[in-house]
Amino acid sequence: MSENALLNSYPELANVWDEMFRAEGTRPEYRHFVAAIENLQGSEMTRKAELAKKLFLSQGVTFTVYSSGEGIEKIFPFDIIPRIINHAEWVRIEAGIKQRLRALNIFLKDIYHQQFILKDGIMPAALVYSCPQFLREMVNVDVPHDIYTHIAGVDLIRDHDGELYVLEDNLRTPSGVSYMLENRSITYRIFPDLLPKSNVLPVKDYPDLLFRNLLALGARQASEATVVLLSPGIYNSAYFEHSALARLMGIRLVESRDLIVHNHFVYMKTTKGLARVDVIYRRVDDEYIDPLVFRPDSALGVSGLYWAYRKGNVAIVNAMGNGVADDKAVYCYVPDMIRYYLNEEPILKNVPTHRLDDPEKREHVFANMERMVIKKTNESGGYGMLIGNAATEEQMADFRTAISQDPRSFIAQPIINLSSAPCYIDGVLQPRRIDLRPFALYGPSGIDIVPGGLTRVALREGSLVVNSSQGGGSKDTWVLGPSS
Amino acid sequence: MLSRVADTIYWLARYLERSQAMLQVLRINYIASQDEQAFEGWRPLLYTYGDLTEEEITATVGDTAQVLGHLIFDRDNAVSVYNNIVQGRENARAVQDHITKEVWLSLNDYYHAIRQEDVARLVQVEDPVSGIDFLFKQGLLFAGTVQHTMPRDEGYVFLSMGKYLERALQTADIMRLKQEAFAPNTEPHHSAAGLRYLLYALFGYELYTKTYKGVITPENVLEMLVYDEDFPHSLAYSLGQLQRYCERLRDQSLPESYDHLHFLIGKAKNNVAYSSFQARNGPALAQFLQQTRSELFEVAGALNTHYFGNS
Repeated sequence: MSENALLNSYPELANVWDEMFRAEGTRPEYRHFVAAIENLQGSEMTRKAELAKKLFLSQGVTFTVYSSGEGIEKIFPFDIIPRIINHAEWVRIEAGIKQRLRALNIFLKDIYHQQFILKDGIMPAALVYSCPQFLREMVNVDVPHDIYTHIAGVDLIRDHDGELYVLEDNLRTPSGVSYMLENRSITYRIFPDLLPKSNVLPVKDYPDLLFRNLLALGARQASEATVVLLSPGIYNSAYFEHSALARLMGIRLVESRDLIVHNHFVYMKTTKGLARVDVIYRRVDDEYIDPLVFRPDSALGVSGLYWAYRKGNVAIVNAMGNGVADDKAVYCYVPDMIRYYLNEEPILKNVPTHRLDDPEKREHVFANMERMVIKKTNESGGYGMLIGNAATEEQMADFRTAISQDPRSFIAQPIINLSSAPCYIDGVLQPRRIDLRPFALYGPSGIDIVPGGLTRVALREGSLVVNSSQGGGSKDTWVLGPSS
Repeated sequence: MLSRVADTIYWLARYLERSQAMLQVLRINYIASQDEQAFEGWRPLLYTYGDLTEEEITATVGDTAQVLGHLIFDRDNAVSVYNNIVQGRENARAVQDHITKEVWLSLNDYYHAIRQEDVARLVQVEDPVSGIDFLFKQGLLFAGTVQHTMPRDEGYVFLSMGKYLERALQTADIMRLKQEAFAPNTEPHHSAAGLRYLLYALFGYELYTKTYKGVITPENVLEMLVYDEDFPHSLAYSLGQLQRYCERLRDQSLPESYDHLHFLIGKAKNNVAYSSFQARNGPALAQFLQQTRSELFEVAGALNTHYFGNS
């Protein structure tokens, strides 16, 4: 053990897996990092933390909160201590995510075409047809290269015994990748030389890989396809990410009013007249994307886009209708999908999940509510969720009523004791709970996962909710290369 | 360039140019209200730059602090200077990747400045002139930052077109506001005072005294405000600049769009250059200003249809 006060005073949480420390000292993947900060004074760490904050502000890495009609920019809190993953574990994560995505992608193709999985009785048809994100409009639509899940942000968590679980698959419009990129660029400025010396694999290829995949989807026989990023606009909290990605890929950032559909082709309005669009990386949800087909009151979509898509005149990324595959009740069947479609055993585990439309399970969950997390099947961002051991009697009663009325819309999972990682808060290292969201890109040439991802941190002491809308922050995520 | 981006940049420039014109008119009107016996009151400005009903105007018009508060800081007045700046900043935020970081920061600073309580206090309670000057300088900083840092690309062209179109409109509007000073039945002393404030409001007083040796006549004032190509707030100057920037769009436009826009600007410019009427002929002046205004609106309409895709 080191003599450093910062490291020695770290209070470990009982019955929680810590990413950096174990009983007999620092984990091997952190050794290099610890050696580098061991000799730093407390004040130097504080200076680094302040520098990081300043860099975020001056780079404009902010999200916007609108209150009383005026935008206020906030930074997404960043913790300077990286989360480090060793190479062997990463290889397993990578293989596990690729396996899941292959199965989920086949599932989407299947469920919107022949539906073998229902006919073979692997999954109940009622579950699929009762999912609000199952789009009948997508039935028998052929998508380019049969790829639905071009971009996925799979959320992984680690339980107290060190086992990794997949919590959510996020196949619609996962966000956060710009923070993965920004966090890395802040780290190499506040810890000079540390990244190359620690054998950390780079994440900077993400925009290039994404752009390559987007271009490959432009089916038109043109010298180069026109790719745009469709954003809901400046009022969206992820607008920074939209403009950052557009800039990094050198594509246009468009809003709904920039696009029109004419004769089933999509065009953008430029000062030179209309220009054909071949590929749309959209950050607008399914239900808003075409007011003629989905929500008629949507001002974020483009009228006629759905038919242009159906005709194959434009590629949309991610495909419409993916919500049926990351529905929290359909999630229970992902291990079965992997066995059914791929004839493989799942590499990454699912969190044990109870569907509440089964009366027996419902009774079991009601009896053990204080040990359960209850979630709505179609919500995200840490909303519509009840954590049993932190809820009041009243909240539990409310959930019971809601569940009894509409059991299909809820699932229950045991409370997973998320692993902790040290965070530099108020001048000392304190344990905070974390998760991991690697970003996977599925293109015609295969699946790529840049080594890294977004590690989200529940900054409130004792909290298990890592979402940025609920007081979460983030860390840079290092994946170490194979040891030479 | 995307039509929306061009539209947003163009309006960004218009909001800022309009704020500058408003602040200067308010500043000069305030000085006149203190120092001029024949002060015409705030009513015309409240009609032009405010959104109050007739009764509200009657209730407000006697109280300078209230008038300035409404026209500059009132968040409920959609056309107050405050809301112009808020809008300008929102526009800048939406096109951050098409303007320089410095331009964005200068607008952001302006926005934070106009939100400060003590600036509103300065204008309404302490010294309105210092307060307005402070805001005005923020606008100058924006204009200078654009000059200094923006690449001379298509975005800059739309920024400049917005600026000069708005400036021409403001010159025509401010002349209309003060057109009584040109009228022959106005008593000579009052007429000269009115014309002097008009010159001040358009930043032309110094140039005028240098050019015309201090004698203020309606003919000379009209000559300068309408025809003088060296005076940066004359109609001729603004329209000349508008034409110049329009011509830089030639290679980046559909031919028919460019031809129509260029034709309308040329028409407006020539109608101003070759206008001939007596300065003291009130109806003729009013008709001229009205016609200029509607021709400028036609130019704005052509930009809207051909370049911004708002048909």
